[in-house]
Amino acid sequence: MEGCSEPRLDAKSEVTNQLVDFQWKLGMAVSSDSCRSLKYPYVAVLLKVADHSGQVKNKCFEMTIPQFQNFYRQFKEIAAVIETV
Amino acid sequence: MAAELEGSKALGGLLSGLAQEAFYGHQGITEELLRSQLYPEVSLEEFRPFLAKMRGILKSIASADMDFNQLEAFLTAQTKKQGGITSDQAAVISKFWKNHKTKIRESLMNQSRWDSGLRGLSWRVDGKSQSRHSAQIHTPVAIMELEIGKSGQESEFLCLEFDEVKVSQLLKKLSEVEESISTLMQPA
Repeated sequence: MEGCSEPRLDAKSEVTNQLVDFQWKLGMAVSSDSCRSLKYPYVAVLLKVADHSGQVKNKCFEMTIPQFQNFYRQFKEIAAVIETV
Repeated sequence: MAAELEGSKALGGLLSGLAQEAFYGHQGITEELLRSQLYPEVSLEEFRPFLAKMRGILKSIASADMDFNQLEAFLTAQTKKQGGITSDQAAVISKFWKNHKTKIRESLMNQSRWDSGLRGLSWRVDGKSQSRHSAQIHTPVAIMELEIGKSGQESEFLCLEFDEVKVSQLLKKLSEVEESISTLMQPA
Protein backbone atom coordinates (compact mmCIF):
# COMPACT_ATOMS: atom_id res chain seq x y z
CA MET A 1 0.00 0.00 0.00
CA GLU A 2 1.33 3.42 -0.83
CA GLY A 3 1.84 6.08 1.75
CA CYS A 4 2.44 9.25 -0.26
CA SER A 5 3.59 12.54 1.11
CA GLU A 6 1.13 14.34 -1.11
CA PRO A 7 -2.51 13.38 -1.00
CA ARG A 8 -3.64 12.43 -4.46
CA LEU A 9 -6.63 10.73 -5.95
CA ASP A 10 -6.96 9.36 -9.40
CA ALA A 11 -10.40 7.89 -8.94
CA LYS A 12 -11.02 4.72 -10.88
CA SER A 13 -14.51 4.16 -9.59
CA GLU A 14 -17.29 6.31 -10.96
CA VAL A 15 -19.59 6.61 -8.00
CA THR A 16 -18.97 8.12 -4.60
CA ASN A 17 -20.56 6.33 -1.68
CA GLN A 18 -21.42 7.36 1.84
CA LEU A 19 -20.17 5.24 4.69
CA VAL A 20 -23.20 4.20 6.70
CA ASP A 21 -21.51 1.85 9.15
CA PHE A 22 -18.03 0.55 9.91
CA GLN A 23 -17.72 -2.72 11.79
CA TRP A 24 -14.46 -4.33 12.68
CA LYS A 25 -12.99 -7.46 14.16
CA LEU A 26 -9.47 -8.22 15.29
CA GLY A 27 -8.73 -11.86 14.53
CA MET A 28 -5.82 -14.23 14.86
CA ALA A 29 -5.19 -16.83 12.19
CA VAL A 30 -3.76 -19.76 14.10
CA SER A 31 -3.36 -22.63 11.68
CA SER A 32 -4.38 -23.73 8.19
CA ASP A 33 -4.10 -26.76 5.98
CA SER A 34 -1.03 -25.33 4.26
CA CYS A 35 0.61 -23.94 7.39
CA ARG A 36 0.22 -25.40 10.86
CA SER A 37 1.85 -22.44 12.50
CA LEU A 38 0.32 -19.32 10.96
CA LYS A 39 0.02 -17.16 14.07
CA TYR A 40 -0.80 -13.85 12.46
CA PRO A 41 -3.24 -11.22 13.67
CA TYR A 42 -5.45 -9.39 11.16
CA VAL A 43 -8.15 -6.75 11.13
CA ALA A 44 -11.36 -7.69 9.30
CA VAL A 45 -13.61 -4.81 8.30
CA LEU A 46 -17.24 -4.69 7.18
CA LEU A 47 -18.29 -1.46 5.52
CA LYS A 48 -21.93 -0.61 4.89
CA VAL A 49 -21.94 1.89 2.05
CA ALA A 50 -24.83 3.77 0.45
CA ASP A 51 -24.65 4.94 -3.14
CA HIS A 52 -26.35 8.08 -4.47
CA SER A 53 -29.67 6.20 -4.86
CA GLY A 54 -29.61 5.19 -1.20
CA GLN A 55 -28.98 1.52 -1.90
CA VAL A 56 -26.83 0.01 0.83
CA LYS A 57 -24.20 -2.60 0.10
CA ASN A 58 -21.77 -4.50 2.31
CA LYS A 59 -18.10 -4.56 1.49
CA CYS A 60 -15.66 -6.58 3.54
CA PHE A 61 -11.94 -6.95 3.48
CA GLU A 62 -8.99 -7.88 5.66
CA MET A 63 -5.84 -6.02 6.58
CA THR A 64 -2.63 -7.17 8.16
CA ILE A 65 -1.60 -5.16 11.22
CA PRO A 66 0.95 -3.04 9.29
CA GLN A 67 -1.70 -2.36 6.62
CA PHE A 68 -4.19 -1.28 9.27
CA GLN A 69 -1.63 1.00 10.88
CA ASN A 70 -0.96 2.63 7.53
CA PHE A 71 -4.73 3.02 7.00
CA TYR A 72 -5.09 4.62 10.43
CA ARG A 73 -2.12 6.92 9.86
CA GLN A 74 -3.52 8.08 6.51
CA PHE A 75 -6.93 8.69 8.05
CA LYS A 76 -5.37 10.80 10.79
CA GLU A 77 -3.72 12.83 8.03
CA ILE A 78 -7.12 13.30 6.39
CA ALA A 79 -8.52 14.50 9.71
CA ALA A 80 -5.67 16.97 10.11
CA VAL A 81 -6.08 18.31 6.58
CA ILE A 82 -9.88 18.57 6.66
CA GLU A 83 -9.66 20.75 9.77
CA THR A 84 -7.51 23.29 8.00
CA VAL A 85 -9.58 23.55 4.81
CA MET B 1 21.61 -43.53 -5.07
CA ALA B 2 23.10 -41.56 -7.94
CA ALA B 3 26.13 -39.58 -6.80
CA GLU B 4 24.62 -36.42 -8.24
CA LEU B 5 21.75 -36.60 -5.77
CA GLU B 6 24.12 -36.63 -2.83
CA GLY B 7 25.74 -33.42 -3.97
CA SER B 8 24.44 -30.05 -2.94
CA LYS B 9 25.15 -27.80 -5.90
CA ALA B 10 21.86 -28.22 -7.71
CA LEU B 11 19.87 -28.43 -4.50
CA GLY B 12 19.52 -24.66 -4.14
CA GLY B 13 17.92 -24.53 -7.56
CA LEU B 14 15.67 -27.46 -6.69
CA LEU B 15 14.43 -25.77 -3.52
CA SER B 16 13.69 -22.60 -5.51
CA GLY B 17 11.69 -24.62 -7.99
CA LEU B 18 9.79 -26.38 -5.20
CA ALA B 19 9.03 -23.06 -3.50
CA GLN B 20 7.73 -21.58 -6.78
CA GLU B 21 5.32 -24.46 -7.13
CA ALA B 22 4.28 -24.98 -3.49
CA PHE B 23 4.17 -21.39 -2.21
CA TYR B 24 4.22 -18.89 -5.03
CA GLY B 25 1.58 -20.61 -7.14
CA HIS B 26 3.75 -20.97 -10.21
CA GLN B 27 2.13 -23.50 -12.49
CA GLY B 28 4.04 -25.81 -14.77
CA ILE B 29 7.04 -26.75 -12.67
CA THR B 30 6.99 -30.45 -13.28
CA GLU B 31 9.18 -33.25 -11.96
CA GLU B 32 10.62 -33.70 -15.42
CA LEU B 33 11.44 -30.01 -15.76
CA LEU B 34 13.33 -29.99 -12.48
CA ARG B 35 15.13 -33.21 -13.27
CA SER B 36 16.22 -32.21 -16.76
CA GLN B 37 17.34 -28.75 -15.66
CA LEU B 38 19.11 -29.66 -12.42
CA TYR B 39 19.86 -33.38 -12.40
CA PRO B 40 20.07 -34.40 -16.06
CA GLU B 41 22.30 -37.41 -15.29
CA VAL B 42 19.75 -38.93 -12.93
CA SER B 43 16.87 -41.16 -14.05
CA LEU B 44 13.29 -40.14 -13.31
CA GLU B 45 12.78 -43.26 -11.15
CA GLU B 46 15.66 -42.28 -8.89
CA PHE B 47 14.79 -38.59 -8.95
CA ARG B 48 11.17 -38.97 -7.88
CA PRO B 49 11.70 -40.17 -4.29
CA PHE B 50 14.53 -37.65 -3.84
CA LEU B 51 12.25 -34.83 -4.95
CA ALA B 52 9.48 -36.07 -2.65
CA LYS B 53 11.91 -36.10 0.28
CA MET B 54 13.08 -32.53 -0.35
CA ARG B 55 9.52 -31.32 -0.89
CA GLY B 56 8.50 -32.94 2.40
CA ILE B 57 11.37 -31.31 4.27
CA LEU B 58 10.63 -27.87 2.84
CA LYS B 59 6.91 -28.16 3.61
CA SER B 60 7.61 -29.28 7.19
CA ILE B 61 9.90 -26.32 7.76
CA ALA B 62 7.41 -23.85 6.25
CA SER B 63 4.38 -25.36 7.96
CA ALA B 64 5.99 -25.07 11.38
CA ASP B 65 7.43 -21.64 10.52
CA MET B 66 10.65 -22.85 12.13
CA ASP B 67 12.99 -20.46 13.83
CA PHE B 68 16.68 -21.09 13.48
CA ASN B 69 17.01 -23.25 16.59
CA GLN B 70 14.14 -25.47 15.51
CA LEU B 71 15.57 -25.58 11.99
CA GLU B 72 18.97 -26.72 13.18
CA ALA B 73 17.50 -29.45 15.38
CA PHE B 74 15.21 -30.60 12.58
CA LEU B 75 17.96 -30.73 9.95
CA THR B 76 20.39 -32.48 12.30
CA ALA B 77 17.76 -35.16 12.88
CA GLN B 78 17.34 -35.51 9.11
CA THR B 79 21.08 -36.08 8.65
CA LYS B 80 21.02 -38.90 11.20
CA LYS B 81 18.05 -40.68 9.60
CA GLN B 82 18.34 -43.70 7.34
CA GLY B 83 17.86 -42.35 3.81
CA GLY B 84 18.05 -38.80 5.14
CA ILE B 85 20.17 -35.92 3.93
CA THR B 86 23.88 -35.13 3.99
CA SER B 87 25.26 -32.35 6.15
CA ASP B 88 26.14 -30.38 3.00
CA GLN B 89 22.53 -30.64 1.90
CA ALA B 90 21.40 -29.55 5.36
CA ALA B 91 23.56 -26.45 4.99
CA VAL B 92 21.98 -25.61 1.62
CA ILE B 93 18.45 -26.08 3.01
CA SER B 94 19.29 -23.96 6.04
CA LYS B 95 20.63 -21.13 3.86
CA PHE B 96 17.58 -21.35 1.60
CA TRP B 97 15.14 -21.07 4.51
CA LYS B 98 17.02 -18.11 6.00
CA ASN B 99 16.80 -16.27 2.67
CA HIS B 100 13.21 -17.15 1.80
CA LYS B 101 11.45 -17.53 5.15
CA THR B 102 9.78 -14.11 5.12
CA LYS B 103 8.59 -14.34 1.55
CA ILE B 104 7.29 -17.89 1.96
CA ARG B 105 5.48 -16.96 5.14
CA GLU B 106 3.84 -14.00 3.44
CA SER B 107 2.76 -16.27 0.63
CA LEU B 108 1.24 -18.77 3.09
CA MET B 109 -0.60 -15.95 4.86
CA ASN B 110 -2.03 -14.78 1.54
CA GLN B 111 -3.06 -18.32 0.64
CA SER B 112 -5.07 -18.60 3.83
CA ARG B 113 -6.88 -15.30 3.30
CA TRP B 114 -10.05 -15.93 1.36
CA ASP B 115 -11.69 -12.57 1.89
CA SER B 116 -10.63 -9.50 -0.06
CA GLY B 117 -7.50 -7.70 0.98
CA LEU B 118 -6.80 -3.98 0.92
CA ARG B 119 -4.50 -3.38 -2.03
CA GLY B 120 -4.37 0.36 -2.17
CA LEU B 121 -5.61 3.56 -0.67
CA SER B 122 -5.65 7.13 -1.95
CA TRP B 123 -7.46 10.24 -0.80
CA ARG B 124 -8.13 13.89 -1.38
CA VAL B 125 -9.74 16.67 0.61
CA ASP B 126 -11.96 19.08 -1.27
CA GLY B 127 -13.38 22.36 -0.08
CA LYS B 128 -16.96 22.22 -1.37
CA SER B 129 -18.31 25.64 -2.05
CA GLN B 130 -21.82 24.53 -2.94
CA SER B 131 -23.86 21.46 -2.36
CA ARG B 132 -26.66 19.97 -4.45
CA HIS B 133 -28.93 19.70 -1.43
CA SER B 134 -28.39 22.95 0.40
CA ALA B 135 -26.68 26.28 0.10
CA GLN B 136 -23.80 25.32 2.36
CA ILE B 137 -20.62 27.13 1.70
CA HIS B 138 -17.15 25.81 2.38
CA THR B 139 -18.05 22.33 3.55
CA PRO B 140 -14.84 20.42 3.30
CA VAL B 141 -15.17 16.84 2.18
CA ALA B 142 -12.69 14.00 2.14
CA ILE B 143 -12.81 11.55 -0.72
CA MET B 144 -11.12 8.23 -0.17
CA GLU B 145 -10.65 5.47 -2.71
CA LEU B 146 -10.03 1.95 -1.52
CA GLU B 147 -8.68 -0.70 -3.82
CA ILE B 148 -9.79 -4.12 -2.61
CA GLY B 149 -9.48 -7.53 -4.18
CA LYS B 150 -9.31 -11.25 -3.64
CA SER B 151 -6.19 -13.24 -4.39
CA GLY B 152 -5.77 -13.70 -8.13
CA GLN B 153 -8.78 -11.54 -8.96
CA GLU B 154 -9.12 -8.05 -10.36
CA SER B 155 -9.41 -5.15 -7.97
CA GLU B 156 -12.62 -3.41 -7.05
CA PHE B 157 -12.46 0.31 -6.39
CA LEU B 158 -14.65 1.77 -3.69
CA CYS B 159 -14.95 5.52 -3.43
CA LEU B 160 -16.15 7.01 -0.14
CA GLU B 161 -17.05 10.55 0.79
CA PHE B 162 -16.71 11.90 4.32
CA ASP B 163 -17.58 15.24 5.86
CA GLU B 164 -15.79 16.43 8.99
CA VAL B 165 -18.27 14.75 11.30
CA LYS B 166 -17.95 11.40 9.58
CA VAL B 167 -14.16 11.68 9.58
CA SER B 168 -14.25 12.24 13.32
CA GLN B 169 -16.62 9.30 13.89
CA LEU B 170 -14.50 6.90 11.87
CA LEU B 171 -11.31 8.12 13.51
CA LYS B 172 -12.80 7.19 16.87
CA LYS B 173 -13.56 3.67 15.66
CA LEU B 174 -10.08 3.28 14.24
CA SER B 175 -8.57 4.28 17.56
CA GLU B 176 -10.66 1.52 19.19
CA VAL B 177 -9.13 -0.97 16.77
CA GLU B 178 -5.67 0.37 17.57
CA GLU B 179 -6.35 -0.06 21.28
CA SER B 180 -7.42 -3.65 20.72
CA ILE B 181 -4.25 -4.33 18.79
CA SER B 182 -2.12 -2.88 21.57
CA THR B 183 -3.89 -5.09 24.10
CA LEU B 184 -3.32 -8.14 21.93
CA MET B 185 0.35 -7.37 21.36
CA GLN B 186 1.11 -6.86 25.01
CA PRO B 187 3.27 -9.65 26.41
CA ALA B 188 1.14 -12.10 28.40
